[in-house]
Amino acid sequence: MHFGPILRALMHNKTRFWLITLEVGLTLAIVVNCINVTLDFRAQYTHESGMDEANLMVVTTEPFGAEFKEEEFVENLEREDLASLRSFPGVRDALATTSVPISGGGSATSRKALGSELDSESTPYYIVSDHVVDTFGLELLAGRRFEPGDFEFDEDENGDILHRNVLVTETLANAYYPEGDALGKMVQNDEGQLTNTIVGIVSDMDNSWPTWDNGKHRVLFFPGQPGSDRRMRYIVRVDEGAIDSVFSGLEQRVLGINPERIVRVETLGEYREDYYSAQLAMIKMLSAVSFLLLLITSLGIVGLTAFSVTQRTRQIGTRRALGATKGDIVRYFLVENWIITGIGLILGAAMTYGLNFVLVSIADSPKLEWPLLVGGMLLLWVTGVVAAYVPAQRATLVSPEIATRSV
Amino acid sequence: MLAYHLKIAFKSLRRNPVLSTLLIGGIALGIAVSTAFVTTYYLMASDPIPEKSDRLFAVQLDSWEVDDPYDDDHPEEPPLQITYRDLQGIMQSDIPSLQSGMYKAQLTVHPEAETDRPYRANTRLCFGDFFAMFDVPFTYGGYWGQQADKGPEPVVVLSQETNQRLFGGENSVGRTVRLEDRDFTVVGVMDAWQPMIKYYDVNNFQFDESEEIFIPFNFNRPLELSSSGNTSGWKFHPGNEYEDFLQSENVFIQMWVQLDSDRQRDEYLSFLDAYTEGQRELGRFERPTNNRVRPVMEWLEVNEVVPEEAKLMLIIAVLFLLVCSVNLIGILLGKFLARAPEVGVRRALGASKLSIFAQHLVECELIGLLGGGIGIVLSALALELINGLFDDTFSFGLDLNMVGAGVLLSLVSGLIAGVYPAWRICRVAPASHLKLQ
Repeated sequence: MHFGPILRALMHNKTRFWLITLEVGLTLAIVVNCINVTLDFRAQYTHESGMDEANLMVVTTEPFGAEFKEEEFVENLEREDLASLRSFPGVRDALATTSVPISGGGSATSRKALGSELDSESTPYYIVSDHVVDTFGLELLAGRRFEPGDFEFDEDENGDILHRNVLVTETLANAYYPEGDALGKMVQNDEGQLTNTIVGIVSDMDNSWPTWDNGKHRVLFFPGQPGSDRRMRYIVRVDEGAIDSVFSGLEQRVLGINPERIVRVETLGEYREDYYSAQLAMIKMLSAVSFLLLLITSLGIVGLTAFSVTQRTRQIGTRRALGATKGDIVRYFLVENWIITGIGLILGAAMTYGLNFVLVSIADSPKLEWPLLVGGMLLLWVTGVVAAYVPAQRATLVSPEIATRSV
Repeated sequence: MLAYHLKIAFKSLRRNPVLSTLLIGGIALGIAVSTAFVTTYYLMASDPIPEKSDRLFAVQLDSWEVDDPYDDDHPEEPPLQITYRDLQGIMQSDIPSLQSGMYKAQLTVHPEAETDRPYRANTRLCFGDFFAMFDVPFTYGGYWGQQADKGPEPVVVLSQETNQRLFGGENSVGRTVRLEDRDFTVVGVMDAWQPMIKYYDVNNFQFDESEEIFIPFNFNRPLELSSSGNTSGWKFHPGNEYEDFLQSENVFIQMWVQLDSDRQRDEYLSFLDAYTEGQRELGRFERPTNNRVRPVMEWLEVNEVVPEEAKLMLIIAVLFLLVCSVNLIGILLGKFLARAPEVGVRRALGASKLSIFAQHLVECELIGLLGGGIGIVLSALALELINGLFDDTFSFGLDLNMVGAGVLLSLVSGLIAGVYPAWRICRVAPASHLKLQ
């Protein structure tokens, strides 16, 4: 195939050439950036939480009975609820907690290594009953689980508990004690009134805000009594695959113990869907926009190649009369298309990085990696070839005799 | 002349229906996508209360820790909310025309109907001025007065939905609602009221629904209600009782005032500065004086209420329309040039360049408008889809401005796409194509 004549022919019609080039380039820039953002959102949504997430459920109860005002009543009921939940068929373990991971709702406090001069570390925490490690499905990396003694506290004259033993995730332990020797050490709040001893270090898990980068995998567990007259909440871990069978029974089970409350049973997976709903919606919108854009561009290529075929009917006829085969004609238009889209893609690569730069600075999008760009270029190149093939095929229908005919 | 151009344009479109569909469909898609996302952005970024947004101010006092600012990334920024103690202090001022501290809490509602179980309702604790300040519309009754604020008297304002749920939508003014362990008398039922941005409290989620129930602020004490929104603190406070919490340095209250003139605004700022100066003598407010009153739009900017995703989609959507326009130029160019012989004949018969140019431009604008019309209808559908994608957190819809913007966009893209091809075709020499004929 001779590129020379094709190139010279292209240069005769510069405008058309630049239009397709520009369109292909712009399309590449937009589509690749859309995919880039989409992949980032997908990665956020599908990342591992470090828990046995597929088998976790959340039971939320909101009391309205008058007797819940009594602290002791809540304490006893919580114990009863837990025993009942743990004995439910298909349930592996359960705990009571103040809030739920991957929910967007929770509390954080500040702690730092005891006596440290440095700024304190923001510390997302959960007040929990025991059975932490086994309910979340974590690994105990060092130290021990909570023991009954950890739930017996000394209160000062104001009713404050100034010292508790705690469990922390590996990441948080290393944030306090970067040397990796946190076990058995203490942490304190800024002013030093509150102290905690790290009695166990567990494997990393997501806290309430997994998209909060600086707080990633930071969790501190306070032993205590999480329930209150406003809310009593449980995390339930079920046997592998038992989630559906357990799900339907839990609400009645809890209401059976005390009906004076509103009860909601959800899977942790539902919390995840909810937490990432904006990301999921963005994935769908960006995919739809990318698809429509590819459609428009390929229709554009079809249209323009078709015109170029119509315009060159006499030329094609002449070439056919001079001995060019049908294959030669198809190849001519395909190569022409390759050249145009090729240049468009090179131009588009620059535009893609340009747009990525803008999106990174304005909309906090992720940086573009080159393999994705190469993938996008291939995708558009193939789209271009397929789009050009149909009209090119039509060009072969031009019969050689047309050259001899005067219009 | 225009009628004639239009007639020819229609004829030209009918001559090649496949191509015309492609042209109009292409621009329709471009308008649909761009109008839809421009609309979402516009609705999020526009003024939620244009008639008085420059007279409503969010109040900030820098009560934070002396050597550790509230926001490490913006150390010059005071906290976004205020403490209960400071609310008590600054509500004493009679400078603002209207003023209200407020926060969100969860309350148990006990419906009268035996069939409806008790449920938790999002409740706003606020002062009566709240409703006047934010122009809250009422279907029945109205809001409570200062007497009820002081009492506090057990009065309640219901949202439209809550009134529907509890009283079947009837006029419930004067009837009783049981909240927690006591009875409240309904004084007002709101009309539908759902600002796109919940600008008076953007703490948890700026697109949150407005509350279901409103009660006088001072019930916070008897009901011991903590905030179900954000509570932030920096200082350890002894004691676990509700009263201990109220006396602490925890911020959880949003404070709004209406100041109708610059003079009023200056006076109020001086009042705030004097107040914090006085508190400093008590050992609080150790940071440099940094009190702010910020009008609505500035407040929304500080809180960055327009999500980055909306900006992203706006950029993508505008580029999308650009591609559609480039696509349109290409196809129009082909279409017009294929008509060169015909134009040559018309030129030879005396048609001026200008008239050829105008005729083709009219054809482009016709394509733009037809595409735009379809596109605007499609964008309304797209917005419905977007609402669905976000589980109806949003109620995006086209308003007249956006329909106008859509029409304008289609005219502009028709023009942009049409000028070059029309210019090319009007320069066709009369003779060259006649020779071939």
